[in-house]
Amino acid sequence: MTQVTNDNRVELLHCFFSAATHDASAAMCRWTGGLISMQLDEVCEIPLEEVCAEYDFGDGPSTMIVLSLQGELGGDMILSFDDNNGRRLAATLLKQPLNAAAEWTPLEKSALMETGNILGCAYMNALTRLVGTQLVPSPPTFLQDYGASVLQQALVAQAMTCEKALICRTRFEERGAALDWNVFFVPSDALRAAMQDALDN
Amino acid sequence: MLATADAKTIASVQTAGMGQAVMGRHAESLVAVLGSCIGVAAYHPRSHVGVLAHVVLPDSNGRSGPPAKFADTAVPYLLELLKAEGVNSTGLTVKIAGGASMFASSGPMQVGAANIEAVGAALAKAGLHVAAQHVGGPKGRRVTLDCRTGELRVEIAGVISAIL
Repeated sequence: MTQVTNDNRVELLHCFFSAATHDASAAMCRWTGGLISMQLDEVCEIPLEEVCAEYDFGDGPSTMIVLSLQGELGGDMILSFDDNNGRRLAATLLKQPLNAAAEWTPLEKSALMETGNILGCAYMNALTRLVGTQLVPSPPTFLQDYGASVLQQALVAQAMTCEKALICRTRFEERGAALDWNVFFVPSDALRAAMQDALDN
Repeated sequence: MLATADAKTIASVQTAGMGQAVMGRHAESLVAVLGSCIGVAAYHPRSHVGVLAHVVLPDSNGRSGPPAKFADTAVPYLLELLKAEGVNSTGLTVKIAGGASMFASSGPMQVGAANIEAVGAALAKAGLHVAAQHVGGPKGRRVTLDCRTGELRVEIAGVISAIL
């Protein structure tokens, strides 16, 4: 099933994603006044058909911020929350009480998109340094959709050339306690190859 | 739902992952969560046998891989699965859903639309008519084929949007 420890190539890529997560965590910590940090959860290669079962997003839709890499080296970053946690983060950032209304306000969406932007830029800056090619994320997109649908959409580019998906998952902590938030980073084949070249050199 | 369901109920739901096809009979349900992918559901009303393929890409271009992954290989594969169960293509009801364009990507921008077209072409080549479809748009879908009735339930963001 999941190959994490026995695949040397994936373990080497783990170094890249650790460095990127470290920088993103520092940025997240600054943005949230020391409240939230990030830890690299796993880097794995997994058969495409097992992705749905491996990552259980639950029955309902999730709240997500998506950033796509622009240029030759593509990839997608998905910041995923359940709705309550997303609302809670927005309230903390805006220094407002938790909004109980069903609809997200533009200000709440903006707070979450800015979080994705800060996190994504720090992450991509670290990868840029390591790969040696400029990685530029798109403006963030706010989505409320099935997490599995969005992750699968991000995997389509990989599916064109291989049967296994490379996924990097990062978890969040609030003062050391685990949060039910995740970042999924799905590099394109071109970015995977560039990372491999950088490791070989 | 799962918390109150008994083991038999849980066992009666099969999920088609990316590039997979699943088959069910009678009380079984077949589920797929789709983005730009297409769920191809074929159902035989008299035998109450259904199949659901989770098609990821439009064209295999001759390359190997799970047959349900590509539109051009998925349709013949579904017919083979049914034939192996003694179900022929006469009288099959075919419904499709999915093919969304969900967010800007550095990858193939129009893969959802290409999948819709390719699945339609593959079904036509096999002499199968699409009885109903729920395709395109910007949102993901969860589809559930009820093998008792042949109904294909389509949910968007947790809300039932259509019963095909």
